[in-house]
Amino acid sequence: MTAPLALRSVTYRYPASRSPAVRDLTLELRRGEVLGVIGSVGAGASTLLLLAGDLAPRVTGGELTGTVERAGRAALLLPTPWTQLSGMAFTVFDEVAFGPANLGWPRERISASVERALTRVDVPHLRERDPTSLSGGELQRVILAGILAMEPDVLLLDEPTAELDPLAARRIWELIRTLAQDGMAVVVATSDLDALCDTADRIAWLEQGAVRALGATREVLVEPALTADTAPGSTSIAAVWRLAGLPEPPPLTVAQALERLR
Amino acid sequence: MRRLHPFTLLTIAVVLPALAWILPAPRGGAAALSVAALLLLTPGVTPGFGVARTAFLTAAPFWFFLYLLHGVSGMVATGLRLSTMIASFVWLVAILPPARLVEAMVAAGWPVSAAFLFSATLQAVPALRERAQRLVEAQRCRGLATRGGPLVRLHALRALALPLVLSALHDVDERALALETRGLVAGARRTPLAPPPDHWSQRATRWLLLLSCAALLVWRVV
Repeated sequence: MTAPLALRSVTYRYPASRSPAVRDLTLELRRGEVLGVIGSVGAGASTLLLLAGDLAPRVTGGELTGTVERAGRAALLLPTPWTQLSGMAFTVFDEVAFGPANLGWPRERISASVERALTRVDVPHLRERDPTSLSGGELQRVILAGILAMEPDVLLLDEPTAELDPLAARRIWELIRTLAQDGMAVVVATSDLDALCDTADRIAWLEQGAVRALGATREVLVEPALTADTAPGSTSIAAVWRLAGLPEPPPLTVAQALERLR
Repeated sequence: MRRLHPFTLLTIAVVLPALAWILPAPRGGAAALSVAALLLLTPGVTPGFGVARTAFLTAAPFWFFLYLLHGVSGMVATGLRLSTMIASFVWLVAILPPARLVEAMVAAGWPVSAAFLFSATLQAVPALRERAQRLVEAQRCRGLATRGGPLVRLHALRALALPLVLSALHDVDERALALETRGLVAGARRTPLAPPPDHWSQRATRWLLLLSCAALLVWRVV
């Protein structure tokens, strides 16, 4: 089966930048898989998403070496919801329909897809609201609905819960898991390592644009090097476990910790 | 008036300034401006006096500089024409939501990127004004005096201009990425979600207005 996304020996440099933002990156994403991308600021996580979404270098400019192979449509959710508004919609329904309409789908298909997406992100009640009157959290979910309505094969998420309250964030993480179970491939760049424990199948840890570690979530997130000053840190439970001086490797979730302590 | 097809509204907003320039000054300009002012001020037709005030405040400096450059007669002749242009544009922005115009353009077979460019231009002024207001409030919180004499205001303007331009440029970058990922690419054939109804009488009126302009232009030149 063809991988929905594969990057092979990819090095990318932004215009007017001397050093590459991503270097010698090789990754393959499987259908139905959630890949978490972690790293400190400037590690290259957002750039990886732009490359995967065919936005770099096509839109951003810059220089790319290596190959990026995509089988199907990829769609990207950026962290700031306000800049992602189409500016061409009076209602949330029209905002969500913006992408599918641009794909030239028939109206019946657009309508069905929009309704499904609104329900998936728990905002069907906002259908008739003016998008500019929404809170940051509501807007982020509406934009996500707009992305999902386009029925992408690869979903690329850059800090998808940055604007959300804890409950809404938890629902988004659950939704990501559900989407993967339905066969979608998901790449999510986030600093929320706690959420990744239950959501991601694999983790790619980037450092200065290169892959520092790539493997199963439970293997990468217990790396002691993650807690170094310039590293992304560790999960809350792992941090407490280590502070208490308990034996390595630390558990990643409350459930795992309870199991170890019993 | 709001129910008129977007192209009809657009035609009115184009024809009025055209007439102001084609017809002999100052009577042509005065007539065109009267119609534009009527559109701006007619109760129930426009969003209210705020729009007329915007048009007036935008036009006023032009009258002042025209007086300095050309004296009273030049000021009246050109001022009426410029004011018609401003009033028509402000009226159009106030009465025509960009999304409706885009739907009409897409339904008429325009490329979606061209339609979006048109829509974004109409939205640029209110969006920048809103952003500037937020920046002014933020600068005030940090102790910047924005009220007072001309020098104080000039100093405040300096502190406002750079963040306004930089933040707008940053947003443009992100917006371009977001629009691309949502399918707004060159050559896309967008499905119109709710194309505005266009009656034959409106189409005929539009052609009549445009042809009248062309005929008047020929009459004036020949």
